[in-house]
Amino acid sequence: MNRRSMIIALSTVLGTPANAHPHIFVDTQLEISFNTTGEAEGVRITWTYDDLTSLQFIADRGMDEDFDGKLTPTETTALSGFDMHWDEGYPGDTFALNGAVPLQLSGPSDWTAAYADAKITTSHFRRLIPPVALGSDPLVIQVYDPSLYSGYYIVGEPKVTGRSDCNAQIQRPDMKAANEKLDAAIAALLGDVENEFPALGAIFAEGVRVTCAAHS
Amino acid sequence: MRRALLVLGVVLAVSLLILWLSGGFAALQAWILAGQREIQNALASAVRKIKRAQPGALTALLTVCFSYGFLHAAGPGHGKVVIGGFGLGRRVPLLTLSAISLAASLAQAAVAVGFVYTGVALLGWTREQAHGVADDIMAPVGTIAIIGVGMWLMWRGVRGLHRQTQDHSGHVHDEHCGHAHGPTVEDLDNLTGWRDVAALIAGIAMRPCSGALFLLILTWQLGIGLAGVAGVFAMGLGTAIVTVTVAGLAVWTREGALASLPGQSIARVLPWFEVLAGALVTVIALSLLVQVI
Repeated sequence: MNRRSMIIALSTVLGTPANAHPHIFVDTQLEISFNTTGEAEGVRITWTYDDLTSLQFIADRGMDEDFDGKLTPTETTALSGFDMHWDEGYPGDTFALNGAVPLQLSGPSDWTAAYADAKITTSHFRRLIPPVALGSDPLVIQVYDPSLYSGYYIVGEPKVTGRSDCNAQIQRPDMKAANEKLDAAIAALLGDVENEFPALGAIFAEGVRVTCAAHS
Repeated sequence: MRRALLVLGVVLAVSLLILWLSGGFAALQAWILAGQREIQNALASAVRKIKRAQPGALTALLTVCFSYGFLHAAGPGHGKVVIGGFGLGRRVPLLTLSAISLAASLAQAAVAVGFVYTGVALLGWTREQAHGVADDIMAPVGTIAIIGVGMWLMWRGVRGLHRQTQDHSGHVHDEHCGHAHGPTVEDLDNLTGWRDVAALIAGIAMRPCSGALFLLILTWQLGIGLAGVAGVFAMGLGTAIVTVTVAGLAVWTREGALASLPGQSIARVLPWFEVLAGALVTVIALSLLVQVI
């Protein structure tokens, strides 16, 4: 029996985060935009919440009282931005990298919200600070909750606007590699019991990888 | 025949334990993970049907809730540890332990209902506050009750062992005197009093399932509270299926192990069962407590 299966067994008994499943499921669409000089300038992120979470959000606000699955225009306006007032330090569950180098993303702007088919869909835009001229390294946008409480899943084809010579590919986690990283994180944790359980969301993250033709 | 069957129980339980420890239940974990999203959607759909007064809506909700309870009990859980530990450590009959498991699962549902309707309906807590109180107060108190059960098992075991050694030192032991020294099996059996059963049930019931709280608050907000209460008891029944199974395995394992011993040594070995099972329950509950504090 290796160490990892022992940890999994232990965490099964104890219910630690190694075993935790997401409680909120968010289907995520990404649209990466480039400015007129060909630099990546930001990303529009569209979140569709699962049925139960959507129902809870609607019930919390006492909306859709006739339960027809539609909101009045007033309600839609009131709903807009409900998930956009982020606590200090909350990363927004979207992360940008150029190759392996982390990039800074602005707070959310230009948000929308809608309620259809019993699901809430919201979208928001985040700027890259500063805009990035892509060289040989790809632009990678990852979507994950470090604590794994919410699960983000890329749906639909990722879009690219502002340039036609770029290619966006969905990245799913390599489960074998992710599990190896999990081993390492757990081994580190065992060395120091005072540690918080590591934020393991990143190693199971889905994302989009954008590469462009060399710009002359 | 009877003995072979009992020994088979030990083999089965040990095999399950090895399978579990070697990660053989990873597939089960993956299944629970995949099932979570489906079941959340089904739950939302059932709640919506009730709200719209569609026929068969309540049956749909109860079915989903029952599956939810079963699915979550098959994953991590304190209830199985306590029932399993108690079943291994005390010579409690299968039917009694099964009844305790069922009672504990239903009591857990009742506590969740009482908690939500006191906190949210009477005191006006928000959903976040209710979950906060459940996590920060109820869970530690329940865990302390479980630690109490574990330590009580250990203490009883140690006292039993102590009594055995006193018997040996108190007078010259005559192998042929024909009566047993130390506590008899019957003595030990009779000591499962209402107090430890109550502590056991309280320890399990005091840790409410977050899914149950979620459903109760949602249905209360939507004005279909009774359906939510029924749903939570259905969850409790789903959970009970798993804990009763664990109870059965624990009793089978214990009796199997005892059956493989010569008759006179059972009374000698029983206190060790209590000490070990008590230690296991205590250690696991302590680590739970460290997590929730």
